[in-house]
Amino acid sequence: MWFSKILSYLRLARAYIKLNWSMQMEYRGAFVSQALAMFLNNGTWLAFWMLFFSRFPVIKGWEQADVVTLWAISAAGFGLGNAFCWNLHNLAAMVSRGELDVWMLYPRSLIPHLALGKMSATAIGDLAFGYFIYIVMVRPDLQHFLLFNLLVVAVAVVFIGFNLWRGSLAFYFGQAEVLSEQWFFAMITFSTYPNCLFDGWMKVVLYTLIPAGFVSGLPVEALRDFDFSAAAFTWLGALAVLISGAASFELGLRRYQSGNLLGMRS
Amino acid sequence: MKPLKNAVETDNLRKVFEIKQGLLRRNAKTVVAVEGISLTVPAGQSVAFIGPNGAGKSTTIKMLTGILKPSSGTASVLGLDPWKQRSKLVHQIGAVFGQRSQLWLHLPPSDSFDLLAEIYGIPKNDYRKRKALLVERFDLGRFLSTPVRKLSLGERMRAEIAASLLHRPQLLLLDEPTIGVDVIARQNLRDLVCEWNREEGVTVFLTSHDTGDIESVADRVIVINHGRVVLDDSLSGVSANTLIEGKPAGLEEIIAHLFNSAASLTMQNCISPS
Repeated sequence: MWFSKILSYLRLARAYIKLNWSMQMEYRGAFVSQALAMFLNNGTWLAFWMLFFSRFPVIKGWEQADVVTLWAISAAGFGLGNAFCWNLHNLAAMVSRGELDVWMLYPRSLIPHLALGKMSATAIGDLAFGYFIYIVMVRPDLQHFLLFNLLVVAVAVVFIGFNLWRGSLAFYFGQAEVLSEQWFFAMITFSTYPNCLFDGWMKVVLYTLIPAGFVSGLPVEALRDFDFSAAAFTWLGALAVLISGAASFELGLRRYQSGNLLGMRS
Repeated sequence: MKPLKNAVETDNLRKVFEIKQGLLRRNAKTVVAVEGISLTVPAGQSVAFIGPNGAGKSTTIKMLTGILKPSSGTASVLGLDPWKQRSKLVHQIGAVFGQRSQLWLHLPPSDSFDLLAEIYGIPKNDYRKRKALLVERFDLGRFLSTPVRKLSLGERMRAEIAASLLHRPQLLLLDEPTIGVDVIARQNLRDLVCEWNREEGVTVFLTSHDTGDIESVADRVIVINHGRVVLDDSLSGVSANTLIEGKPAGLEEIIAHLFNSAASLTMQNCISPS
């Protein structure tokens, strides 16, 4: 029963990826330029950190290789989580504009169906960037590469759950697009800074309210020390963020007020 | 499976929205969108559900499809509770919102159909036959491979209705399906809906501001205003039994009269029945 349900969702995911890919290819130039722009944008930030670590080689135990790993895992995880689940990134706007109506008329679980509904070209650029720098700059052995893949999926789960958290705000506050966006930028900022820079109460915040610790902290430790317990905690944290995100969405859905704006699916 | 007697049953269905204002002192104001609607729609019937803007039509339809949770009262659609059994229910209903598309703007209808078949889990062979039938009957062949953004509104709405029939729904909810569509395309859409209602026994629940839609498609007319039912009669009964100021009136005139009436007035108060 569960197995056939999972298979059915995998088939649906394949169908959505095929459809979204066709749509991206309808505007091939825009797709390539967006993906490339994101690749270059990430590259600029990484170059800044490389320069920084060339002046100060060790900061609280972190070296240049760690910051490359950090950027690889956060870009690839963010890219994977958003490339195929882009609707969740815009969830707050969708809720406040009443755009869930169409999705609620299909016989599929709302969260996975909504999540799969839209792809992002820029997030594909992030995904490619993460893998590119990890393979080219870190040059991992097979074991590290396999662990990297496992952690990229966990980080993607963190971002999916986090998007559900911030998107669900719109159910409770009505108009929550700005708040949701600010929360997103805080998450991105802390996910791309070395986790060693933060201590005390800030560390608590980074494993709760802004769960960037599961992106820029534990996964980097897991890869640097080849530490399975850090990898396991990353996964536990990712699942906790996802489950709490799904719960806040489902609870919020009871307060959904729909809307009457004109709309097309694009 | 025993065939259902009634496609839709509601009892005192109500929806209240709460609006809060003020920064420090929060004043809560309630807006009653639907005020105790009780209806029974037999399976296979074509019903026009009409009312002025803000009367509560769309809110009622959204409660019947499980999109909105009723504040109180009960609803049963095809024997299911829409809010609690939404996923099961939507397998058996088709919905067309004239203002919201279920087709992908940048892709041809054919691709959207393929995806919908996957969403509804329609077996491949069934889907092929059904698609061929709908393409022929809705005359979609010419533009099946053209991106939706390049279609005329009439073509898009034909494709929308065909898409909503792919999974053989028992109930078709049409919310202003002819909005913005030209006269010929509008008549074409009405004929197609009637054909499907006759041939497959699909129950049709139509909202529209166009009396032509109502006269062509519906067997029964339900008018709501301020969230309450103010008229519920067969289409022929509405015109035959109703006089305005002692004179017979057309459907459009009767509806306009009802729309202009205060919420507390009943049919007897505002229109003299013959």
